[in-house]
Amino acid sequence: MIGLPAALLLGTILFLLLVFLATRGSEEIRGLSSRSNVPLFDDEAGLDPCPPEFVARIFSGDDWQFVSKTGSPQLEKLYRRERKLVALAWVHQTSTAIRRIMREHTEATRQSQDLHLTTETKLVLLYAELMFLCGMLFLAIRSAGPQRVYGLAVYADGLSQRLAQAQHDIKTVTTGREFHGAESS
Amino acid sequence: MLSLAIWWSCIALESLLLLRGFRGKLASRYPAFFSYIALVLVQDLVCFVVAWQSHNSGQYKLAYWTAEFLCVLVSCGIVLEIYRVGLAAYPGTARMARMLLGLIFLIVLLKTIVNVTSDPGWWTEESAKGVEATLRAIQGTAIIALVALFLFYSIPFGKNLRGIVLGFGLLVCWSFVSLTIASSPTAGPKLQTLLAFLSSATYAIFLTIWLVTLWSYQANPLPKQSARLELQYQRIAATTQRRLHDARSYLAKAVGS
Repeated sequence: MIGLPAALLLGTILFLLLVFLATRGSEEIRGLSSRSNVPLFDDEAGLDPCPPEFVARIFSGDDWQFVSKTGSPQLEKLYRRERKLVALAWVHQTSTAIRRIMREHTEATRQSQDLHLTTETKLVLLYAELMFLCGMLFLAIRSAGPQRVYGLAVYADGLSQRLAQAQHDIKTVTTGREFHGAESS
Repeated sequence: MLSLAIWWSCIALESLLLLRGFRGKLASRYPAFFSYIALVLVQDLVCFVVAWQSHNSGQYKLAYWTAEFLCVLVSCGIVLEIYRVGLAAYPGTARMARMLLGLIFLIVLLKTIVNVTSDPGWWTEESAKGVEATLRAIQGTAIIALVALFLFYSIPFGKNLRGIVLGFGLLVCWSFVSLTIASSPTAGPKLQTLLAFLSSATYAIFLTIWLVTLWSYQANPLPKQSARLELQYQRIAATTQRRLHDARSYLAKAVGS
């Protein structure tokens, strides 16, 4: 016999998944017809990570020191607000890139005959961890500002570059696959 | 009076759904689903006749719960049908689904063995509502696993299959929550009557969802890319895994600094 709290939890999860499925519905069908005619990984719009210098600049304290030297409270306020927005936009871009890597992985492998449960589970856990860290970064920037999370700026820089590299590698693999497919047909 | 109106409207909706299913040749594509609807229609008619001719509530309960138990068993086929039709073009994802469903049933089996071992009279002491709630909860868990896979792998749905998943998922969701509440010792007769009425009313809504989405046949959209990916899976997965690992270690280092 299932307990009431477990039933409510299960019911809520199922209900939310079904709502998500219903809302995704028709968009997915429309999206499929347009996406399936083009090779995967070709749509890179909005994926280019920020250049390292730019990312370092967002999180560095140099600009803040310069602004604070002016002694203008309005300028300081404006600077804090704008810099926070830029930093948040960067986090958003990074998490979008991670999501895209995973989405492209699932789209590329869902038809594969030999999907491995353990491999896929590991990938899902890694993905969840990265998304969690992005969420934490987002919260840290919102609450403390970009300058206070300078340690994460190092991550910001590296992760963007590595994600771009991952995109490139997967694209290379898939291009090879299509080439191989064209040869054998 | 309202309950009777809902009852009749459910019978009418079920009949119409079956009619459309056979006319649109949907019944041959979704045999488990339409068998379930046919069985529910028979259950409704039989229970109606029993309730009308006999004033003994014991007879009605016996007829109702016997038919209800059969319906729940037959509805397990709908879960398998969702898996079969939805993942027909995706052998890799179907393999994942088989493993997940196998894992769920293994956990359920283990839990049942533990329950029976610790309390041998558990099964016989359980009320009919409790048994149905448990079976529906198992179905619900299986649907959660399937829908999560469908969403994660962006498996496209046709209108028909989406309607079946949505309607049946909501039915299962409502069933195990309401039955669990109704079978709890704290539930009074008023609450039980209210839940029974709401179950009939919501069932009419689920039937409407099915009727709208299964009015005519619509094939599931198939991906146009050919499946030449078998040999490449390990490479793609390894690349994704390595890069995500790199990102994680770098991120952990940065957060720790």
